Amino acid sequence: MTKPAAGSLAGMLTMTKPSAGSLASRSTWVSTTSVSSSGKRIQREMVELNLDPPPGCCAGPKGDNLYNWVATIIGPPGTPYQGGIYFLDITFPYDYPFQPPKVVFKTRIYHCNVDSAGNVSLEILKDSWSPALTITKVLQALQSIFTKPDPYNPLVPGIAHLYLQDEAKHAELAAEWTLRFAK
Amino acid sequence: MFRRHNIAARIFDRQISTVAPGTSVHHTRRFYENLVPNCTIYEVECPDHLYRKITEDGQYLICFSRNHQDLIVYRPTWLSYSCKEECDTNDLPPKAKRFESFFSQLYCVSLASSNELICKDFFLYMESNQFGLFATSTTQNHDAPVGGAVQGVPSIEKITFHLLRLEDGVVLDQKCFHNDFINLAHNMGVFLYDDLLAIVSIRYQTIHILQIRDSGNLVDIRAIGTFCREDDELFLNSSTQSMLSHEKGKLHQLPENPVENGLHQSEPSSDYCFLSGIKQRLLSFIFRGIWNEEPDQALRVQSLKKKFYFHFQDYVDLVIWKVQFLDRHHLLIKFGSVDGGVSRNADQHPAFFAVYNMETTEIAAFYQNTADELYLLFEQFCDHFHATSRNSLYLNFISSHSNNMHAREQLRSAKNKASSSLQFVKKMLVSLPFSCQSQSPSPYFDQSLFRFDEKLISATDRHRQSTDHPIKFILRRPPNTLKFKIKTGPEAGSTDSRTKKISSFIFHPFLPLALSIQQNLSLQPSVVNIHFRK
Repeated sequence: MTKPAAGSLAGMLTMTKPSAGSLASRSTWVSTTSVSSSGKRIQREMVELNLDPPPGCCAGPKGDNLYNWVATIIGPPGTPYQGGIYFLDITFPYDYPFQPPKVVFKTRIYHCNVDSAGNVSLEILKDSWSPALTITKVLQALQSIFTKPDPYNPLVPGIAHLYLQDEAKHAELAAEWTLRFAK
Repeated sequence: MFRRHNIAARIFDRQISTVAPGTSVHHTRRFYENLVPNCTIYEVECPDHLYRKITEDGQYLICFSRNHQDLIVYRPTWLSYSCKEECDTNDLPPKAKRFESFFSQLYCVSLASSNELICKDFFLYMESNQFGLFATSTTQNHDAPVGGAVQGVPSIEKITFHLLRLEDGVVLDQKCFHNDFINLAHNMGVFLYDDLLAIVSIRYQTIHILQIRDSGNLVDIRAIGTFCREDDELFLNSSTQSMLSHEKGKLHQLPENPVENGLHQSEPSSDYCFLSGIKQRLLSFIFRGIWNEEPDQALRVQSLKKKFYFHFQDYVDLVIWKVQFLDRHHLLIKFGSVDGGVSRNADQHPAFFAVYNMETTEIAAFYQNTADELYLLFEQFCDHFHATSRNSLYLNFISSHSNNMHAREQLRSAKNKASSSLQFVKKMLVSLPFSCQSQSPSPYFDQSLFRFDEKLISATDRHRQSTDHPIKFILRRPPNTLKFKIKTGPEAGSTDSRTKKISSFIFHPFLPLALSIQQNLSLQPSVVNIHFRK
């Protein structure tokens, strides 16, 4: 398989070590080898994503920090989110892939699974997380909530309520949000 | 073609010949070659004011008192005098050599109140209504609240804009900004186009669009920054409220639901976790551009990674520095890093330009300050960047390198001399967006009529280093003779050559009349000379 660029990764490590230490003091002790293994894993997933990106979305590291990514999801056609460009922050923990990445919307969205601070609730990012999952899978899952919101596990019950009771009204409002905040 | 320079011969020529269509104004302006301010009254006795400018229609001379408290307005008049005794036709009688012979005071009003001072570098004129816009501000405030503000930008406790009817000096309306920073020097942070006013709050990253109504009211039209449309905030609040009301229904059933309480508490801070409206537009514009540029999936991801995600945080951190109108809908916005907005040598920092349509809330174009494409637009269509109000007559004749061949030649030679074209483009684009009403429409700065040293004097309203040598105005056309000189300071030259002196010039928009003001950096009264045609 592809080898990670050793030089850049080494540079990354010296940069992330102190914060890895502070993380370790709070929770479990994380060895530098595990940091580097999470780095390697992210690197490998990046290569994978670049080779075969899912349509309508994209992601990449912010600057040279491998653990902070930005993802973009293009509002899927045929949904009220059509025409919107959604930016999301993805933060990988240092013990990735044993912990799921954290995903936050940076673009406002009218969606029952995204709260008013941009936090997204997705089963695979919580209890159903498995180290076998990859960033590509996460992006696909995020994309799927645009087409199929999950009103039974809502973060914003009001929107979920509306979605179940009056889908047309929900679509109208979501489209208005797209036009105003996601163009 | 041989042309006669005698004014009588020219008037005769004008009678018997017709000029090429569309050039009549240019032809008429050539009479300014004969009518020049070649007579100087040195060290004229005048009130010790801060002289700001003569309005574009020549109606008002705007001055501020030394203590930055009062506005004093004069009407420029043409010198007329009579004398009882035998008159020496070659020299003016001493009684006529006064400031009051050229300017008559209309009124003096106090603008500043309590701890505020008039910003002497700020004045905008709305010609159609003869309204003047002035600004007063308090000093810098070091312990201002930080909520929502950009770090590293100074804060001024209170900035007040005053809209005055210049005819009689009545204050029609005022608009205050608190704990904010607006760059008032040389009108940089404020742009007037027709009746629309754009005020840039650097501290809160908001472009306030106001309208000046004929009634003399300053009306908020929209604020571009956190939100794009004028009712976005209202829309957001009303739809979040309806969401909450649903939840409240639930809350009554389950009063101790921790998740929902948490949601309520996170409400106020939610504004800062999302990208601001203008940034969302900007980032999605850049993203779309790269996405559409590359049809191949895999290459597209590569190019997005390198050109977009890698720089994502830098784009997010960009700060609005300066704005100008291009027309009633389009704004040219300059973005840069935080330190560049406040510091003086802003050209050291990377900067970007965006054209934003505030009606459709779309970004129309985005350039870096090294973009050849933008430079070429600037070179060829410079006048389109000088968005002047439609009804302004004289402002259409300000020389630029796109309407004046001599200015263009000068630009070309500077371009050829430049060692690196990248540096040259950067240097030229520093002037964008243009500052509002920063150029004098005086015909003596028309580069097709006169040649002069632009380091010493130009149409741009700036303080310049003063020299003891007179500034020469030479005819652009043959016989290329010296037509007049403008000399600042005392006639005999200054006695003290060590202190650095700066001079500024106030030219009447169409009369052969100008004021030159020489100051040294100490607090001595300035030396004012009146230049006119006798």
